Formats: sequence, structure tokens, C-alpha cells
Amino acid sequence: MNGHLAILPFLLPLAGSGVTLLLARRRALQGAVALGLLLAGLLSSAALLREIWETGRPVVFQMGAWPAPHGITFAADLLSATFATLAGAVFAAGGLYAWGSRDDAVRAQPAFFPLFLMLAAGLSGAFLSGDLFHLFVCTELIVISGAALTAASGGAGPEAAFKYFYISLVAGLGLLIACGAFYAAYGTLNLADLAARIAARPEQPLAAVAAVFLLVYALGKCAGVPFHFWQPDFHAAASTPVSAMLSSVIVKLGVYVLLRCGGLFLPLAGGPFRAVVLAVGVAGVAVGSLGAIGTRHAKRMLAYSTLAQVGLMLVAIAWGSHGALAAAVVLAVNHALVKSALLMIAGAMAGRAPGHSAAFDALRGLGAALPAAGALFLLGGLALAGVPPMNGFIGKWLLFRSGAGEERFLVLALLAAAGGLSLVYTVRAYQLVWWTPRGGGSGASPAGDSFAAPALLVAACVALGVFAEPLLRLADGAAADILRPDALVRPPPPPGGAP
Amino acid sequence: MDWGLLLPLILCAAGVPLAAALGADLRSARAVRIAGAALALLPLAAVVALAARLPEVVSGGAPSLVLPWMPSAGLAFSLQVDGLGLLFALLVTGIGALVVLYSGFYLDHDPAAPRFLATLMAFMTSMLGLVMAGDLFTLFVFWEGTGIASFLLIAHRRDDPAARRAALKALLVTGAGGAALLAGFALLAHAAGGTAFDALRAAGDGLRDHRLYPVMLGLVAAGAFSKSAQFPLHTWLPDAMAAPTPASAYLHSATMVKAGIYLMARLNPMLGGTETWFWLLSLTGFATMLLGAYRGLRRNDLKAVLAYSTVGQLGVLMMLIGQDTAIAFKAMVIGVLAHALYKSSLFMAAGIVDHGAGTRDLRRLGGLRRAMPATFVVALIAALSMAGLPPLAGFLAKETLIATAVHPSDSRAFDLAMTAGTVLAGALVLAQAATVIHRTFLGRAGSAASRAHEAPALMVFAPAIPAAASLVFALLPEPAGLAAFLAQAAEAAHGATVKVSLAVWAGLSPPLLLGGVAMSLGVAVFLHRRRARDLEGGGAPWTWGDRAYEVVLRGVDAAAAAMVRVQDGRLRRYLVVMLAALGGLLVLFGAVPLPEATPGGGVPPGGWVRVFAALVALGAALASARLRDDLLAVLALAASGLSVALYIALEPAVDVALVQVVVDILTTVVLVLALRRLPRGPAHEPRVPERLRGAVPAIAAGVVMAAVAYAALSSRPRESVVTPFYEANAVARTGASDVVGAIVVDFRGYDTLIEITVFAAAGLGVAMLLGAARRGRPAGEARAAATVGVAGPRTSPFLHLLAWVVLPLALMMAATRILYGHDQPGDGFTAGVTVSLGVALWHAVFGLAATRRRLRWARPRALIGAGLVLAMAGAAAPVLAGQAFFSPFDFGHAVGLPLPPGVHFGTAMVFELAICLTVLGSAVHGLESLGGAAPLPAAGKKEDAR
Repeated sequence: MNGHLAILPFLLPLAGSGVTLLLARRRALQGAVALGLLLAGLLSSAALLREIWETGRPVVFQMGAWPAPHGITFAADLLSATFATLAGAVFAAGGLYAWGSRDDAVRAQPAFFPLFLMLAAGLSGAFLSGDLFHLFVCTELIVISGAALTAASGGAGPEAAFKYFYISLVAGLGLLIACGAFYAAYGTLNLADLAARIAARPEQPLAAVAAVFLLVYALGKCAGVPFHFWQPDFHAAASTPVSAMLSSVIVKLGVYVLLRCGGLFLPLAGGPFRAVVLAVGVAGVAVGSLGAIGTRHAKRMLAYSTLAQVGLMLVAIAWGSHGALAAAVVLAVNHALVKSALLMIAGAMAGRAPGHSAAFDALRGLGAALPAAGALFLLGGLALAGVPPMNGFIGKWLLFRSGAGEERFLVLALLAAAGGLSLVYTVRAYQLVWWTPRGGGSGASPAGDSFAAPALLVAACVALGVFAEPLLRLADGAAADILRPDALVRPPPPPGGAP
Repeated sequence: MDWGLLLPLILCAAGVPLAAALGADLRSARAVRIAGAALALLPLAAVVALAARLPEVVSGGAPSLVLPWMPSAGLAFSLQVDGLGLLFALLVTGIGALVVLYSGFYLDHDPAAPRFLATLMAFMTSMLGLVMAGDLFTLFVFWEGTGIASFLLIAHRRDDPAARRAALKALLVTGAGGAALLAGFALLAHAAGGTAFDALRAAGDGLRDHRLYPVMLGLVAAGAFSKSAQFPLHTWLPDAMAAPTPASAYLHSATMVKAGIYLMARLNPMLGGTETWFWLLSLTGFATMLLGAYRGLRRNDLKAVLAYSTVGQLGVLMMLIGQDTAIAFKAMVIGVLAHALYKSSLFMAAGIVDHGAGTRDLRRLGGLRRAMPATFVVALIAALSMAGLPPLAGFLAKETLIATAVHPSDSRAFDLAMTAGTVLAGALVLAQAATVIHRTFLGRAGSAASRAHEAPALMVFAPAIPAAASLVFALLPEPAGLAAFLAQAAEAAHGATVKVSLAVWAGLSPPLLLGGVAMSLGVAVFLHRRRARDLEGGGAPWTWGDRAYEVVLRGVDAAAAAMVRVQDGRLRRYLVVMLAALGGLLVLFGAVPLPEATPGGGVPPGGWVRVFAALVALGAALASARLRDDLLAVLALAASGLSVALYIALEPAVDVALVQVVVDILTTVVLVLALRRLPRGPAHEPRVPERLRGAVPAIAAGVVMAAVAYAALSSRPRESVVTPFYEANAVARTGASDVVGAIVVDFRGYDTLIEITVFAAAGLGVAMLLGAARRGRPAGEARAAATVGVAGPRTSPFLHLLAWVVLPLALMMAATRILYGHDQPGDGFTAGVTVSLGVALWHAVFGLAATRRRLRWARPRALIGAGLVLAMAGAAAPVLAGQAFFSPFDFGHAVGLPLPPGVHFGTAMVFELAICLTVLGSAVHGLESLGGAAPLPAAGKKEDAR
């Protein structure tokens, strides 16, 4: 039964969370098992993606063989499988980083890996869910495990986790209200079923309310302005392997929901939807770029930069053309890889700084003994700014192409400015950490977290820039999936059938 | 498909890893020199490979190579070499070979020399790719590569703050230009329907007539101007002299700064020939020419003089591309060649002076001709070429330039200005060249002359080659081959036939006379140079670029600081903004829920109990907010929750009500435990405005929620899609007589699995959080606090007995819930909470330590882990039987176990048990964390997160 392929990407880490809890006393084994299961999750999602690519059809699984829309549907098309594979890859790298981490927030916590796996399971589940309510359930898992992991990282962790938890509660409530309102209006929560019914009768009472709450949920999840305030605090305060996940793939949940549901729910509010997403995206670029320049803390800078990068994706989503949507997918993939790598590098540097601080004052000149890490950081920064041949450039070029085609000059100017500003903050940070003389104070402590995981991620960035064709075709197919939601509207009958 | 085109690129690129691999092995100065010389063989080989193309190109061929790169985006990796490309490619590799050789000597005592050489090779590869590119996309990729390499080379001396600043400035200015260029390319590609130069050439007229032509041109020109240091974007180039001299010689005079020139020449057949093109390029180039020629005169830094004269020459070239005449392009190609030769030579000579005399400050130099005779000769030849004196390449360049200037163009007025301007610029450049030679090598010996010494022969050899070439190519009697090659290059740029002759003596003509005027004027300027330099003034146009850069960067920093201040860490403000945005969106989408009036049905049967329950729930909730005593507030909250349970029970949804009751009790227990640990301080009395700020959004949010709920209840279509299915199949296919149970465990059982994982995460999270807070405090304190019960005092034997009785009862209740849960109200969740309440009583009575000792099975992490694993295993079991994951499966039935009626040993039961274990584990985790340790210390001061 191939349908099971659609659920393995999240079942494996979910099972892993239980297993690693049982192994809590045997730390070395626990880490190895966690890493192994994350890798297995990555492989399964890659296999899923391959399956969809080769057959040209989505893989649909009905949990418990209960037929749609009565049971929970899991639907993997190119879009969801791409995001799931991305999550799998970044989480595997995060697991690798955490495995060798010397950070107390990781090493001294027997529940770190179980929660980390729960975070991974929740995210993949959310990407592959074909059911609005299950999306809510997965969101809860993401929020609570992310908040728990951040709260345990000490320092500013508890306060940041509290803010995140509170605001996420509001965003989650938004999705719950959207679920309720959609159910009240259409009597179903299956995404494909819902899309068909919305297309048939868009004027149902409460439908617009549901759309607004869903939008607020998605913007809250991807930290769109003005739902972003929790993000810099939260992403900067988390321990490194966690913040590298939060600021890279977890924020993509909101982007994914907008991509997925933007197409589904356009009949409800096409015009304002696009205008709002565009405005939020533009504001995100401005707030994120400037915030990243203004802050004096490396991880915070990278968190702010996420606001800007997500802003670019929102702009592309708002354009909504095939090319722009493909650009959004490419940008999302690139940003997830780059940002997780950069956060890991920043974290590994901070681990070598006195007081384990990621503030620039503590990091200044710390990189003199670690030029290879600097090269990785610079490459990552260039990828972020969209300099060829890094993968960031491909997304930027696609966006420019579709922007040029539609003559959206104002936004094009904004995109160019965002690229320039990201060059300002990444290169300044690079110069400060790797070039500026340390000038007093203790030097880098020789031992720290390994740079293997970020090196792998940066290598992926370079590889996806030089060999961009597969990703481009994937994004192309994913964009087609977004624009043709009816592919999922009538999913094929579950392979096993009802018992 | 001409694969051979890759050869020069591969040769250069191979130098990057080779140089990098040298790494720390280069211990001695000699090793560095040898490494440089060896590395220079690579570009030399590339020169040979390129030169082999000369016959083909001179006869009009343009070999090309197109490799598919991103076919789905219509993008390819494309190389094409025509005359223009080959001219630049030969300069890049030829001068590159000399510079690499020279670098080995220049940096022989620098431990970072391998890094420099590797970066230099990377730059060479990028630059070569740029001039060999066959389409916009490939060109842009290499374009950005040159920028990055330049950034790294300028800041080679990393501990020098000026070098770091200069590198950043160069990167940002050219990077911004690059962004404009990319946008321009995107427009061009869109308008022409492709990125290949052939396609663009074919679309030429269409492009020039395109509605967006001015936008495209503006963007592309911005990119080219920033790279080629055109006024006012030239500002980064003088600063970039912080780079080691080999980099300056190579990047910032001979090659990279010509990238913009090359690009505009390349695009001339596609975009040129219009009024806009003419004026944009002519005026910019004209201003840049005068600026560079004048500014160079007053510098005291040898390299700065040369940098400004480079700026001036770049202006000349840009202005020439703006003219739509054959002779202009002839002047352009000769100018490119001549300038590359003499300027690289002069820069390398300047480096030798710097190296040998220890300074490049003209005030400390002078009289070096004795100490450095070879260098003096080389520099002199190059300077004569720069001054435009016969019989050198520079003379030819200047003569053709003046010939272009007097050649009639579209604008009579501009012709006059251009003639006057070129003569003036020529004079100033001559004065510059004279100054360089005079102040360095001639005149009185400066303070640095005493320690000056000549460089090794090979080091002087590097600048001697281009200097000699300047001499040779003008002295050779009518070098037909070279002329034909240059004509090809000029034709590629002009888009039409160009005749090139390189005869030094072309008879008496206006250009020759004007050249004479320029020469005499130049000599006059040189003689009165001190007076000329007094023409300085603040706020001069040449500082505009610098100031704009400063202002923009400072403005960005100020805006950034303001942006960071907005992020003030106040959760309440964040929430208010979010809620306001939500309200705004509701209004914008026209989605304000306005419930329609529905016919009131009076009080439903049994309604008065509902009213009572609702009133108690509301009253208790209000009381919990108003009560000052924390314990009473918690109890009021509990009462509110129980009333809600009563309301639910009347629905009737006994299942849900039961869950609500046990959860309410557990919550109360946890809250009471937490109360003990809350830091006590003076109560915060909010003032009225503060209350209002909180109350307004709270009430508004409440009203919206109420409206949504009311609209949902009053308008919901009673025919749900899923409900009939659930009702029809609950008994038949899950064996559950209770629809809610069937939904929770079967139809949407997987949701439940995730929800118990959420519960587990909460338990683990609380434990981690409190554990983190506990760490770092004396262990004895925590242990002492852990030995007593919740309230502190010792507990009575009666309570002990109660605890002993209650726990087994709870376990029995849980067991029945699990066994019969599918048929009766109650389920694994209730079971888990029930047992944890029993354990909670133990905690209250015996304290943490005793409870842990006696209830060895109540190990939270093991319970949670076992529960999750069991749940997954149970759900996976049907897969072995060929059914879907999580499908209902009755093991008892399958094996034939004799079980009492109503008991099914199936997946549902396993799942209920798993839920029970997980919930119990998390609840106990929370209880242990909260009940165990001493109260938390008073809230520490908040860390400044900014």
C-alpha cells in the first residue's frame, strides 16, 4: 500500500519521540536513535516526493481507511511533499547538530530529543494534512513542543517562550474559529471537499469570517507584520538547534498554508486577500531588513532577517501568477536551508564565546581561528542576499522575471533594496566576527559545537544553485498544484478501501 | 558546441584550489615567490588557448558553447567569443598572468598570501567568464562573482579598519548596481523573449522601441556605471586602493572596472543608437572624465593619483560608447587596450616603489631613479603612454579620441564641449603622468629614498611586459593582424563595420594639432600644478557620491534603530496590535459577523438547570478575576469549570462532561501546587487608563467572538456532511455504541494521538522549565523541600489510609474505563487523569520523595514513552494484517479469545491504554515538578533582549 508513504514522514519521528523517551537514561543511544529516525523520516519524504514526481499523481492516505471526508485525509502533492522533504532535511541537519552539541540546553535535557522529534512530527504532519482540523492539532503540537524546548534553554528562554505561547494561542484560536466557522458554513473540514463546496457556494454566512481567521492564523505562523512581534524574541532565545528549526522551516508553515489555502479559498475574498498579503509582505521586508541591521545580536539579526525573507515569499504569493508561486516555493526551500545553516553557525560561534552569548560584542573577532566557519557564514549570507551561484539567486531571478513580466516596478525596487540590505547586515556581521581584531577579552574557547551540520546545509545551498533544474521543475509542478486545487478535490479512493 | 571554450575558464578555476591548497605550507618568502610564478603558468596557458582562437575570430567567427542549465526557466550556461570578448579575455588572462607572478613577490612575507592568490584566481575566473558569456544570465553570474572577489581582495588586510570599510563600500555600491542590473536584465529578457545575446541582437529595434526602453536602459546603465566607477558612483574606487597593489593593478584598473565598459559596448548593438543612450552615456562619461583628470592631480598618494586617472579614463571610454560613430568604437578599443597596458604597468611599478621605499606618499618619495633604475624606466615608458606621447599606444588612443571628438555627432553643442573637454582632460592627464614620474623618481631625494632598493628582476619583469607592449604595438609598421583584430572588436560593439589603422603618423590633421595643444597645456598645468591644486572647495560635486553613501547608510542605521525600538518586549502591546489588525481584516473583508434575528424558542426542556449552570459558570468566572485571594480565585475557576461540565452533561454529552470534570479537578490541583511557588510581592494595582487599555480590546474581542459563535449557531446548516456517516457507522464498523467515543478513538483517532502527544509535550515542557529554574541552586535546599507534603506540615495516619485506599480504587476505575470505554462513557483520557489524581493525593500526603520511592511504576518519562510507543504499535498492527494504518482491528476476535460481552481486545483498547499511560505520565511529570522543589526565587530582572 503506497498510501502509507504519505504518513511515514511524520510517523517515524512521532514513534521516535516515544522511543527516545524510553531511552532517556542512555543519552548516546538516544541521540543516535533520534538522528536515525530523523534521517529515516527524510528518506521517506524524499521517496514520497519521488513517487509523486514519477506517477504525476498525488499520494492520498485515509487514516484508518475511513473514507474522505469522514476520516482524516493525508494528501501529498508536489507542494506538500516538497515542504515535507524540506522539513525532513532541515530537521535531520538539526538532529545532527544537536547530537554533537555541548550546549546544556541540549545535553542536560533528557527530554530534548523527544520534544525535538515531536516538533518534527508536528511540522511534517501539518504539511501533509489534507484536513483543516488536523492542521490545527499539528499546530498545537508544534507550538507546545517548540515553546517547551525554548523555555528550557534558560536565559531569556522562558519569557520568550511565554510570549510565543500566548500569541500562538491566539493564532491557534484563529484556526480553531476558522475550523468552526467553515464547519458551520459547509459541514466539512476536509480541505479538498471544502474547496469544492466553497467554489460552489462562496456566499455562505461565516465563510468570510472563516477566511479572515485562517489568514490571521497563517500570518501569525509565518510572522507576517503585524503578527510578528513574538518572533525575534523567540527565535533568538531558543537553543541553537531549536532556533535553527524555528526560523527556517517552522515559519514556513504559515507560508505553506497561504500557498495551499490561498488557491483554495480565493473564491471567498480574492481581491482583498491579495492586497493584504502584498501589504504584509512589503511591510515584512522593511521591518525585517531594518531590524536585522539595527540589532546587536547575531541570532536576533538572523531572526529579523527571516521576517524579510518571508516577506518576499508573501509578495510572491500575493502576485499569484504561476511564475511567482514557483518563485515562492524556491525561495522557501532556499531560505530554510540557508537560515538554519546560518543560525547553527551563529550558535556554534556563540558557544565558543565567553558566556555563550550571541551578542556581537561577545562575538567580535572570535572567528579569527575559525576561517572555515567564516567562509560558510559568508556563503550563507550571500545566498541570503541572492548572489549567484548560490541557490538564493535562483529564487530572486524567478521573482524578478515574473515581476518584470507584470511590470510591478515598485515591488521590484523593494526586492532589490531588500537584497542590498541583507548584504549590509550579513557582511557587516561577517566582518565583525571574522575580520575585526578581538581587542581584549578572552579568545574563543577551542571546543564547541561542530560545523558539520551547517556545512552540509551550505553545501546543499550551493548544489541547489548550481544544479537548480530539479528544484525549478519541482517548484513549477508545485505552483501548478496550487493553481489547480481540483487535483486534490476528488482524491482517488483509498487503496485498501473500507473494511 | 565548442567545448574548447571551457578550457581557459577551467585553467583559471583550477588555480583556486591549487592556491588554497598551498595553505600553510608556504613558510618562506622564496616558496611564495615560486608558488606565484608557478601559478602564473595557468593564466599563461589560458592566453595561449585564447590566442589560438585569434584567426577564427579575426575572420569574423564567434565560437559558442551553450549548455542547458535550467531549461525549465529558459536559462542556459552560454559562452560566446567574438572580437570584443576575445580582446577583453586576452587582457584578463595576459595581465592576470603577470599580476599573479608579481603577487608572489609582492606578498612574499605575507602569511595570507595563499588566500590572496586563491581569491585572485577566483576573480580571474569570474572576469574571464564575464567577458566570454554568451547571454545575460551567465554574464550576471560572473558579474557578481567579480564583486565578491573584489570585496575579499580589498579587505585582504583584515585588521585594517579602513580596508574593511572600503571593502564593504565597494560591495554595497556595486552590489546595489548589481541589483539594478538584474532588474534591467529581467526586463530585457522579458522584452526580447530570451537572454542570449543573439536573441537580444535580433530583437534590437523591438527593444529600442519598447515602451519600457528608458527603464531598461536606466537599470542596466546603473549597474554598469557602478561597476565602472562613473560619476557619481565612482566613490568606491579611490577607497578600494586599500587593496594590496596587485589587486589594484588588476581589478581596479585593468579588468573589473572595465566590466561596465564591456557591458555597455556589448549591449550597444541592442540598446544603443538612441538619443537617450547618447546623452546618458556621453554626459556621464564626460563628467567622469573631467572629474578623474582633475582630481588625480591633487592626491599625495601614488595609488590615489593612478586611481583617479583610471576614473577619468573610464569616463572617456563610457563617453565613446555613447557616440554612434565607427571612429568612436575604434577609439574605444584602442583606449581599452592602451589603458590596460600602461595602467597595469604603472600600478605594478607603484607597488614596487611601495615595497622598496616603504611608502607611496608622494611627499616622502622623490629621486628614486638611482635606487630603482629598472623600475624607473618601466614607469617612465608607461607614464609616457599615459600622457599620450608618441610613439606609444597612449598616443594612438588620445589621437583617435580627439578625432572622435571633432567628428560631427548629433549635437553641435556637445561636439564643441567634447572637443574642449578631451583636450583639457588630455592636458590634465599629461600633468598627472608627469607628476607621478617627477615626484617619485626625479627631483630631490625624499625621506624614503635612503632605504629604497630595487626589486628582483622577475618582479620588474611583470610591469615591463605591458610597458614594452605599449611601445611595440605603436612602433610596429602597420601591424595588420592587430588592426584587423581590433576592428573585429570594434565592430562587435558598434554593430557595423569599423576600420582600424594603427599608424602613428597619419599626416597633419586637426586631431594632431589638438593633441599638440593638449600637450602644451598639460606641460603648463604641470609647471603650475601647485596653483591648480588650490582650486579645491568643500561641497564639490565629486564628494556627492561619498556623501550620498554616508547619508544613505546613516539613514538606514537610524531607521533600523527606530525599528528595533518598536520591538519593546511588551506582550500586551503586541497582542493589542494583533487584535486590532484582526479587527481591521474583518472589516476589510466585509466579514463582520452580524447574526440575523432568529425566532426565539423560549426556554428548552430542562432549561432552568441550564440557566442555573450558565449563571454559576459566568459568576464564578467573574469572581475568579475579581477575587484578591489567589486560592479563592483558583477555587472559583474550578467552580466555573464544573458548571460548564454540568451544562455539557445536559446537552447530553456525558462523555465530554466527564472529561471536563476530571480535567477541571486536575487543573485545580496543579494550580494550587503552582500557587505555593509563585513569588509573593505587593499586588500591582492597575490605574484606570491602564485598565481601559486592557479592557477595550478585551471587550471588543469578546464581542466579536460572541457574534461569531452566535452566527455559527443560528446559521449552521443542520445537515452536516460527516455526522450521518458517523451515526450510521459507529456501531457497525467500530463496535462503539457511543458516537463521541467512536470519533475520538476511531474516525478521528489520529487527532487524539497527536493530542496526547501534545499533552506529553506539555508535561515534559513543564518539567524542563522548572528543572532549568531549579538548576544552579543548592541541592540540599531542594531535597529538604521535597521531603514534606504539599502544605508543609506532617500529615495524619488517617490521610495516609485514605491515600492507600484511593489509589487502588482509581486504578480499578481506570481499568474499567479502558476495558469498557468503547461502549460506555469514559475513555483512556479519563482513566489517565483519574489515576493521576490518585497519585496527586499521594504527593499531597507523603511528599515527593516517599511517593517516588513507593510508587516505582509512576516514572513519568517511561510512562509517556511507553504510551506513545504502544499507541504507535497498536496503530501499526493492522498494517501487518494488510490493512491501513490506524484501522480498527479486533485481535481478540482474530485469535478467538473467549471474552465477556462488551469487551473487545482490539486496537481501540490498546489505544485507550496508551492514552491512559501517556496522560498519566505527563500529569505525574507536572505534579513532580510542581510539588517537588522549593518555591521559585523572586522573578529575576529581565534580560535586555535588544
